[in-house]
Amino acid sequence: MNNVLIVFLAVLVMSAVVTTARIVWSRTLATRAVSFDVLTSIMICGFLVSAAITGDGLYLDLAVVLGLLGFLTAVTVSRFIERTGK
Amino acid sequence: MSAIIDVVSIVLVALGVSMAVVAAVGLVRLPGTTTRMHAATKPATLGVLSCAIAAALQMDDISSVTKIAVIVAFQFITIPIGAHMLARAITHSGTTEGNE
Repeated sequence: MNNVLIVFLAVLVMSAVVTTARIVWSRTLATRAVSFDVLTSIMICGFLVSAAITGDGLYLDLAVVLGLLGFLTAVTVSRFIERTGK
Repeated sequence: MSAIIDVVSIVLVALGVSMAVVAAVGLVRLPGTTTRMHAATKPATLGVLSCAIAAALQMDDISSVTKIAVIVAFQFITIPIGAHMLARAITHSGTTEGNE
């Protein structure tokens, strides 16, 4: 079972790489913010799959903190866009 | 019994990983920021939910399951709020990207 989950983790890493390419090669700040939200969700999925592989509770703490940081990023960037109009 | 739980969690992780791939492909293929928000919010939320159920099936203590429930609840609250704030900022600033 662990080998199958490690293969799924590799697929998650590939989709994270695609999302990072979208963050780098995008034209507006709003697209970058949306792509960063997706990247945060993919990383939370990766932490949950890692917790399922190892049975370690430390990955769940990392996922909680990452969800909080992703929400703060979305709120801060949207306030910035609304204030400066970029 | 343990084999059944393993198979169920593998199927749930496969669903969540395929939703993450759909979100990444949608970010690349869809035109414009507000259409990309479709790919950003809905498949990502479902992927987190199914990966969380799979991880909760593999955990054996109650505190880890509670942490996973907190993660899912937080994601289900914050992803629509963040998407709404971003869409409102894009609409008010008038910087709709359009088809690029």
